Amino acid sequence: MASEYAIEMLNITKRFPGIIANDNITLQLRRGEIHALLGENGAGKSTLMSVLFGLYQPEEGTIKKDGQVVKINDPNDANALGIGMVHQHFKLVECFTVLDNIILGVEPAGKFGLLQKEDARRRVIELSEKYGLHVDPDAKISDITVGMQQRTEILKMLYRDNEILIFDEPTAVLTPQEIDELMQIMRNLRAEGKSILFISHKLAEIMAVADRCSVLRKGKYIGTVNTADVTMEDLSAMMVGRNVNFHVEKKPSHPGDVILHVENMTVASKVHKNNAVKGVTFDVRAGEIVCIAGIDGNGQTEFVYGLTGLEPLVDGKIVLQGKDITNAPIRERSVSGMSHIPEDRHKHGLVLDYSLEDDIVLQRYFEGEFTKHGFLRRPNIRQYAEKLIEQYDIRSGQGPVTMARSMSGGNQQKAIIAREIDKNPSLLVAVQPTRGLDVGAIEYIHRQIVAQRDAGKAVLLVSLEMDEVLDVSDRILVMYEGEIVGELDPKKTNPEEMGLYMAGAKRDTVKKEA
Amino acid sequence: MQKSPNRESLLRKPGFQTLLASLLCIVLGLLVGFIALLIINPSGAGEAIMDIMRNFLNYSKRTTQIKNLGNTLVKTAPLLMCSLSVLFAYKVGLFNIGAAGQYVAGAGACIYCAVGLGLPWFVCMLASILAGAVVGAVSGALKAYRNVNEVISCIMLNWISLYLVNTLLSGVKNPTSPYTYSVTKKLVTVDGVQQVVDHPQALLPQLGIQGLFNNNKYVGLALPLAILLAVCIWVLLSKTRLGYELRATGLNKNAAKYCGMQDRHNIVLTMAIAGGLAGIGASMLYLTGFEDWSVTQSSVPGMGFNGIAAAFLGGLNPIASIFSSFFIQHITDGGAQLDKQVYPAEISSLISSLIIYFCGFVLFFKTSLNRWLDRRGEKPLTDKGGKA
Amino acid sequence: MILLIQYTLVFTSVLMLVALGGCFSEHSGVINIGLEGIMVFGALGGALVMKYLPVGLPGFLFFIICVCAAMLAGILYSLLLAVAAIDFKADQTLVGTAMNLLGTAAATVIVKAINTAENPNNPSSTIQYIAAKKHFLFVDGYEFNWFMVLAVILLILSTVILYRTRFGLRLMACGEHPQAADSVGINVRKMRYAGVIISGLLGGLGGLVYITAGVSEWKFENGVAGFGFLALAVMIFGGWKPTKIALAALLFGLFRSLSNVYTGFGFLNSLNLPSTVYNMLPYIISLIVLVLFSANSAAPKAEGIPYDKGSR
Repeated sequence: MASEYAIEMLNITKRFPGIIANDNITLQLRRGEIHALLGENGAGKSTLMSVLFGLYQPEEGTIKKDGQVVKINDPNDANALGIGMVHQHFKLVECFTVLDNIILGVEPAGKFGLLQKEDARRRVIELSEKYGLHVDPDAKISDITVGMQQRTEILKMLYRDNEILIFDEPTAVLTPQEIDELMQIMRNLRAEGKSILFISHKLAEIMAVADRCSVLRKGKYIGTVNTADVTMEDLSAMMVGRNVNFHVEKKPSHPGDVILHVENMTVASKVHKNNAVKGVTFDVRAGEIVCIAGIDGNGQTEFVYGLTGLEPLVDGKIVLQGKDITNAPIRERSVSGMSHIPEDRHKHGLVLDYSLEDDIVLQRYFEGEFTKHGFLRRPNIRQYAEKLIEQYDIRSGQGPVTMARSMSGGNQQKAIIAREIDKNPSLLVAVQPTRGLDVGAIEYIHRQIVAQRDAGKAVLLVSLEMDEVLDVSDRILVMYEGEIVGELDPKKTNPEEMGLYMAGAKRDTVKKEA
Repeated sequence: MQKSPNRESLLRKPGFQTLLASLLCIVLGLLVGFIALLIINPSGAGEAIMDIMRNFLNYSKRTTQIKNLGNTLVKTAPLLMCSLSVLFAYKVGLFNIGAAGQYVAGAGACIYCAVGLGLPWFVCMLASILAGAVVGAVSGALKAYRNVNEVISCIMLNWISLYLVNTLLSGVKNPTSPYTYSVTKKLVTVDGVQQVVDHPQALLPQLGIQGLFNNNKYVGLALPLAILLAVCIWVLLSKTRLGYELRATGLNKNAAKYCGMQDRHNIVLTMAIAGGLAGIGASMLYLTGFEDWSVTQSSVPGMGFNGIAAAFLGGLNPIASIFSSFFIQHITDGGAQLDKQVYPAEISSLISSLIIYFCGFVLFFKTSLNRWLDRRGEKPLTDKGGKA
Repeated sequence: MILLIQYTLVFTSVLMLVALGGCFSEHSGVINIGLEGIMVFGALGGALVMKYLPVGLPGFLFFIICVCAAMLAGILYSLLLAVAAIDFKADQTLVGTAMNLLGTAAATVIVKAINTAENPNNPSSTIQYIAAKKHFLFVDGYEFNWFMVLAVILLILSTVILYRTRFGLRLMACGEHPQAADSVGINVRKMRYAGVIISGLLGGLGGLVYITAGVSEWKFENGVAGFGFLALAVMIFGGWKPTKIALAALLFGLFRSLSNVYTGFGFLNSLNLPSTVYNMLPYIISLIVLVLFSANSAAPKAEGIPYDKGSR
């Protein structure tokens, strides 16, 4: 044991055309510790990990394993060095069993490559018991919960005798209870001598489980601290570089008439046989921001699809400004005053290979201003696009003719928001509008949403970010397993209480406003 | 120093890249065809490949040349329609391998209307549009509402159309040959006895164009109509609201649905239009009397498949496909110029199928070219950095 | 009746072999629309060997050589798809379509060239193999041949390979989630090549079986009459699973053979349907099957998508 460090990344620099993704970053992981890697989106965490797994070769810097310099050319090299990773998006084959996924790539096989799974199954069960993972090796991945899938990923590393375990944002998809269990599993692993790198931007979790924490900001290395010596505020300041005031400035709301009335809405699930949304009932009034909060995968996506018409309802009723739109086609809902900032801007929000101006008129191209006798009125489209680009400060290489694909995520999102807000809706449905954006863009978008409220629009915000929920909304509805389990006042509640609702540990019978 | 950026910006133009890629496909296709000729008989291979490329120019007399150019153009019109059919569907993200079957349906409809029902040419043409559109719409509907892969359903419909048309046209068959009566005839029943009488109204009008081609009587309305339709398709795709919707559907089905376009409806409509284009293509050939239909044929005519070649060779641009269609037809007819005792005429279909194959590499070619340009673009920058 | 059974078995063998080929390719993640062309090339390889191999060879050896020739021809031809789809990320539908057209065109050119070289007045695309074909039959006078036995063996082998071996597990991982396969050190490119090559092998063999089904000469201008696509329908109907594919092939084989033998059945004859109805039947059945079974498709998730190491 030459070194106290299991793995060291020393002075790593990685450049891409136009940006320095990693600028002289040093990360040293001690044997048997849980080490957090903290940073915002775009701070350079993923690039650093890609370097560790040999997906990118750094321009400068070295990697040491147990004090010895090593060269990592591809993920196989990393695996051979005992480095394993639980990716944010699991690398599991859905139609395989847990066992098949675990042995994939290191299959025990006899003559003619015939699989011999018995020993492997025994070993998996052993490991599963040893670390308290409780995974059934014969279950199909598509049938088990996200938490179980994550444990399968952990078992994959353990089965390969990996010593260095990397967890990439592992809690994003988990319920609070599952998060607690994961923390316990990580402690068990540490007790067995595994070294753990825990990538996260959630301060509470880092404080709860990590021994040390390294912080990155905008590609630069900020420092490494013992979590016992610092407070959450300290870490936060290191992460964002200033004591940001996340709080959104806004006046009290003055709710007016009911704009949206949803009654007993039920939507089928695409992945399982049950309904994903089960009898949801609520109202949104003019001049208020109502937020649907909850952990990812509790029916929010299906709820939005049902509300906006992307999926049919199994049961229930939707009324927009007194007009029943339960079975109305998408276009009719849009024309009736519903705007929708979609969750996935690449899947739904934009035609990436259209020019910016074509994307900007995506919801209005059929109006008389832009179409006459079936022909597009190009000059009007150009003029309108230029107006919105100016007004909403959408930055792009070539203005209206820029391909949407070539724009940055933040500007793509701005284009969508400009388009949806400018069509002057009575109801704005915004689903995770700030996902994957930097702090500046987030502030901008929050201001726009509040401005819409102040202009007397009804706003329905669907968000997974607890801070966003608490700061922006006037009223919070918590969704758990497809049901509204609580209605909270953001001024009176706190993250802990919300967490209980989100995890299904607490529930009210929400008053039916019908 | 001044020239290099200019050349580079030309290389970066998507249109220029497509042209370059298409030319490359042609060269590669001809090259492999030439190699095949070399293997069959090395001594005449050079001459043979030139014969294919010269096509009508092989004839020594100018008047014969022009007449044969007319023959090539007669078949270019239907081919252009098939290529428009393929590229139109492809813009919406559908691979219309069924142009062949839609073409067959169109052929069946117009020949039957002409010979069996004795209808005038424009009715026959409408019938062929309708027949093609119905066949296309079936594939579209299956895709939109039942998630059936359009390629496989199109292939099945190709064969079904072929057998149906064979059955239908058996009713207007010339008893002394496997072919139907020419479209210049019609069947009438007088006192219970079937008679064959002349029926020139079914022929497409010549509009005097035949005069340009040494009185090649087959040349007429079809060619200008086909070019006009190509322009219409270009306008439809790039200038109209429908084109805007269809392209959006093809590029991102989910976004099209999100903004309230009726994606399923659009898929059916697209395939119906594509089918109609292939269908009218058939009437452009058969209503000239250039060919008659053999009711015993057991393979789907290659016109629709060559349409795929022409569409991709033309970089999926309606205007460019006018030229690519002519080229494909040119070499297809060129194959017939070969000495059949040495070289098989199918060398032409070999070349056009190779061209389709190489078109599969176009995307890779373009991204590689762009990446190469990027790398070249970066270098001067770092050089400058070094000097500063 | 015996005629119906023998034709059904022959056509079932063909469809099953080719569909199994498609199954391997798709499980690796490559859509193989080009099966039709692969069949033509396999048939060509087999036919040429039958034409040139001395008929006096022992029957079994003759059979083996023909089978190997067809498989090899199929494999070589399938490499066209593998290179384009795997290394050059080409549109798999486009390339497959090109391969189908190319298959028939190239085979016609080759056969015609051979025929005209032998006799300049014979520019036909037909190869005859009357004598050679006798080697394949195991009861004289009946169309029961060794290919049927081989097909059953290959069916069993395919099932074992896909579900019981390391290779099968890895292959299917590449078709379902290539990023996952790559992350555990599986070479996705190699596995996809393997999948396409196996489909070439089985498709090529299927082509040979097809041209020896009840006939003893083949006109290569006609290709294989959409059989490659029928096999794709069989594969979809069989849910990408070998055993179900075998059953689906049996059903399709039955309908296909009806067009050859319906005249032998009194009640079918009395219906007085035109023969084209029977010709259309397999295609109509496939369409119906596709309509019924495409909605909830069990297709490998990553099929048709070129694997790009960068996108994780």
